[in-house]
Amino acid sequence: MLELKGIYKWVNTGNNRIFLLKDVDLSVKPGEFISIMGPSGSGKSTLLNVIGMLDTFDQGEYNFLHESVHQLKVKQRSALYKQYIGFVFQAYHLIDELTVYENIETPLIYQNIKTSERKALVADVLDRFQIVGKKDLFPTQLSGGQQQLVGIARALIAKPKLLLADEPTGNLNSKQGEEIMSLFRELNREGMTIIQVTHSEKNAAYGSRIINLLDGMVAQ
Amino acid sequence: MFKNYFKIAWRSMMKNKTFSFINVFGLSSGLACCMLIALYINNETSYDTYHRDAGNIYQLGTTFVLGGTEKETMPNTPAPMAEGMRREFPEVEASTHLLGLFADDKTLLQYNTGSDAEVKSFYETKGFLTDSSFFRVFSYRFIEGGVNSLDHPNTVVINEEIAKKMFGNGSAINKVIRINSSTNGAYDYTITGVFRPSSKPSHIDGRFFMSIGGGDMEQYIKRRPNDYATNNMFYTYLKLKPGSDYKKLESKLPSFLEKYAKRDLQAMGFDKQQFLIPLKEIHLSKQVKNNVTPPGSRSYLYILASIALFTLLIACINFMNLSTARSSKRSSEVGVRKVLGAMRGGLIRQFLGESVLLALIAFVLAIFLMYILLPFFNEASGRNIIFSFAQNWLMVTGFLIMAIVAGLIAGSYPAFYLSSFVPVKVLKGKLANTLAVVSLRKFLVVFQFVISVILIISSVVIASQMQYMRNKDLGFTKDQQLIIPLRSEAAKKAAKSLKNELKSIPDVVSAGATMYYPGIFNPSDNLYYKDGQSMHEGIRTRMNHVDFDLLPTLGVKIVAGRLFSRAFPSDTALRIVVNEALVKEIGFPSSEKAVGQNIHFDWQGQKYDFGIIGVVKDFHYESLHLPITPFAFQVVAQNSGTAFNYLLVHANTTNMNNLIQSARNEWHKLNPDEPFEYSFLDTDFLKNYESEKRLSSLVSYFTIIAILISCLGLFGLAAFSAEQRTKEIGVRKVLGASAGSIVGLLSKEFLKLVLIAFVIASPVAWWVMNKWLQDFAYRTSISWTAFVITATIALVIAMLTISFQAVKAAIANPVKSLRTE
Repeated sequence: MLELKGIYKWVNTGNNRIFLLKDVDLSVKPGEFISIMGPSGSGKSTLLNVIGMLDTFDQGEYNFLHESVHQLKVKQRSALYKQYIGFVFQAYHLIDELTVYENIETPLIYQNIKTSERKALVADVLDRFQIVGKKDLFPTQLSGGQQQLVGIARALIAKPKLLLADEPTGNLNSKQGEEIMSLFRELNREGMTIIQVTHSEKNAAYGSRIINLLDGMVAQ
Repeated sequence: MFKNYFKIAWRSMMKNKTFSFINVFGLSSGLACCMLIALYINNETSYDTYHRDAGNIYQLGTTFVLGGTEKETMPNTPAPMAEGMRREFPEVEASTHLLGLFADDKTLLQYNTGSDAEVKSFYETKGFLTDSSFFRVFSYRFIEGGVNSLDHPNTVVINEEIAKKMFGNGSAINKVIRINSSTNGAYDYTITGVFRPSSKPSHIDGRFFMSIGGGDMEQYIKRRPNDYATNNMFYTYLKLKPGSDYKKLESKLPSFLEKYAKRDLQAMGFDKQQFLIPLKEIHLSKQVKNNVTPPGSRSYLYILASIALFTLLIACINFMNLSTARSSKRSSEVGVRKVLGAMRGGLIRQFLGESVLLALIAFVLAIFLMYILLPFFNEASGRNIIFSFAQNWLMVTGFLIMAIVAGLIAGSYPAFYLSSFVPVKVLKGKLANTLAVVSLRKFLVVFQFVISVILIISSVVIASQMQYMRNKDLGFTKDQQLIIPLRSEAAKKAAKSLKNELKSIPDVVSAGATMYYPGIFNPSDNLYYKDGQSMHEGIRTRMNHVDFDLLPTLGVKIVAGRLFSRAFPSDTALRIVVNEALVKEIGFPSSEKAVGQNIHFDWQGQKYDFGIIGVVKDFHYESLHLPITPFAFQVVAQNSGTAFNYLLVHANTTNMNNLIQSARNEWHKLNPDEPFEYSFLDTDFLKNYESEKRLSSLVSYFTIIAILISCLGLFGLAAFSAEQRTKEIGVRKVLGASAGSIVGLLSKEFLKLVLIAFVIASPVAWWVMNKWLQDFAYRTSISWTAFVITATIALVIAMLTISFQAVKAAIANPVKSLRTE
């Protein structure tokens, strides 16, 4: 599904070049559930952002669904991720001014999907996550677990091929965390490719493969 | 998608009600202020444009050359000039001359209703004498009558309002009214026309126009049919044939004067030059100062226009600043939206749309504000500006476009700047602002406060000059002086009896009759010279004609000789009392030595002698704008008693109302057909400062707006800075900083800006105000207290503005601000 070859990312401070990612190779097949682990500052989130095309890299090749991402322009790149990738964040990143329904709907608006179709799609997702009753509430009126549920619903609404999650349970208590993780497992069983960043061994165990990062390099 | 944007815009506005309100209101007040000024400028530049032949009408101006070098430019010309020019120059199609009823503060109009011989009396203002061509030269909208209304003597054209007042809804045509004028005498006039004033302004603001034929003025003019040298009191207008070049005509004017006026001018000892002023330029003409109505000033308009532009600019920038102050919050939204697949174009449209929406709300609010403020503005500016969408649609459209542009610019920061980053960067909500942006904001705050400080200092200085003028010793008794105008022949004749009756009222100290009194327009003057000199060395001396009781009543102080007295039968019209300025200018060694001397003037080849019997201390017969110049009183013999226009009554009472009631009773006994009117000398004198009063209120309005707008700017900057420094404040608090020290930390920075503004503004304000004070011959000095007061005001206002944000930031829970990192 995607392949990273010799990815480097760095920042220059003074005369020093600090590597955030160093010669990362990674290949992900459809249907995999990968957990990226590593200590703080090891480059987990950076790697995830690079995969999600939210951030750039300085050197290397990245092929996503037969497209060479490193050769694409910004516009094409965002067209690509908007169609195929869904994001889930630790801090949920819901838009406070929009209701649950409108938050979930937003990606569809950006994909120019018709109102009637949007309604049907959002209704399906609300139904599936059992949050129909909350659809007119604003994010601040929900608990953290519920907010993350909305975040996942929003990530899935456009039927992506790849779901990226950056510490999705980091702001949740253990019970809420477990619920989210079982939801991920269920999604993966239905065929969704998932890459998550996590600190917790327990959460990593939900996945099919673990990648350990240390100082920007994949630990062998 | 638009619905979504609109929803977001509306919700984020409602969520921050205070913030949005301040932001929208700031832009609205800037726009409203600008609209008012635009209306004013539009009004000032549209004077007399509505006349059909406006492009071909010219006013004849005169430059008087006194003593070879001293020049004075006036729009006044002799009576025969209009007709003379029409006869002389073929390109002049029509000409007219006009004279205001200059000696009338109000004119008494009486209508005998016929039933029970009841007489309706009205006091009217702004009456003019003119000829039959007037309405052929100028375009007036007649409701009744027409352009030929003044073709016969003893006819009058009145405006709609007077007609309504006199005759209700009935026709006014052919009704005969008696017009009692101190300028023109009392005669009957037939109403031959009623006009409705144009909604556009004209420099001729007449409410009624009388034919010159049929009154005293006709006799006056007939006595000097070929006098092109003196009697310079008429306004002359020439309508040229279409296509004529007025510059060509202007070049022929010197020879015209040469032909008709040279001999008389030489005898009078002065010279004249004539020039033409295009009608549409009269109101803003720099050449001529005392026109039919006081002219506007072009430089004043430029100042106002730049104030308007600055206000708008600052309001727009503040709007922008305040909008972007919260952009760090918006930046995470931008990030999320990008992650969700928003394209840059979409984000740009969203943010632009949002701020345009705010700007449009501000625009609508501005129109309301302008509507509400227009009456106050009219009062302050002394104009009668009417706003209607039909007439001012161009301006409204212009401001609509401006508002939209302001919205677009305000939205451009989040739209173009934030949307340009890779999502991760904006997602974190941390975009350190570049130094340039911060310095720009600081510069703007300083700039705004400079303007505010200048305006505050100006207000303080203007107020202290007003105070000075109110309290200055004028050289005569100004308090407890009642003025009773004598406006009709009957009232003038009864003046002497009335005076005697008034004197018998216990609280009345004295009473006297006079032609003019200090503070009002007094056109009469003579050129006096002393023995051994000639008319060419004549000193221009203002004259007043009084009775024996006037000078003691007025309370002028004698320094040498004596005042007029009935005890001296020799006190006739050939004896005068002069002021110290005359003694000095004409060159007598001292006041004592001047008493007993003769001074002279020539008129129509004859020399007249006047004996000085007394010298009075200089007193202010004109406003404090003007220095005291030579002045002389002439006594008028008792038997020619209709020369007086006013009775001056000096009282010594604590109950003025009682005294007025007694005076009213006496008046009605002697003048049953005329309403009793009165005024007070001190308030009448202060009327000379009407324009300063207006300026003062205009400046105070602008000061309030400027302070408001600069506070918004400061508020925006404080909010912005507090938000930028959230983390720093959090860390400081964790390290043990008290709320007080954080308020201090945040405030210090801004108070420094205000102080810088004060330092820049003070010399500018001092210079401007010093210049303004030059308009007054007698003025207060700018004291340092003005600056202390201003600095205090500015600092207090700034402190109040900042503290809101500073306190909010200081008492916030540090854990909260640090957790989001």
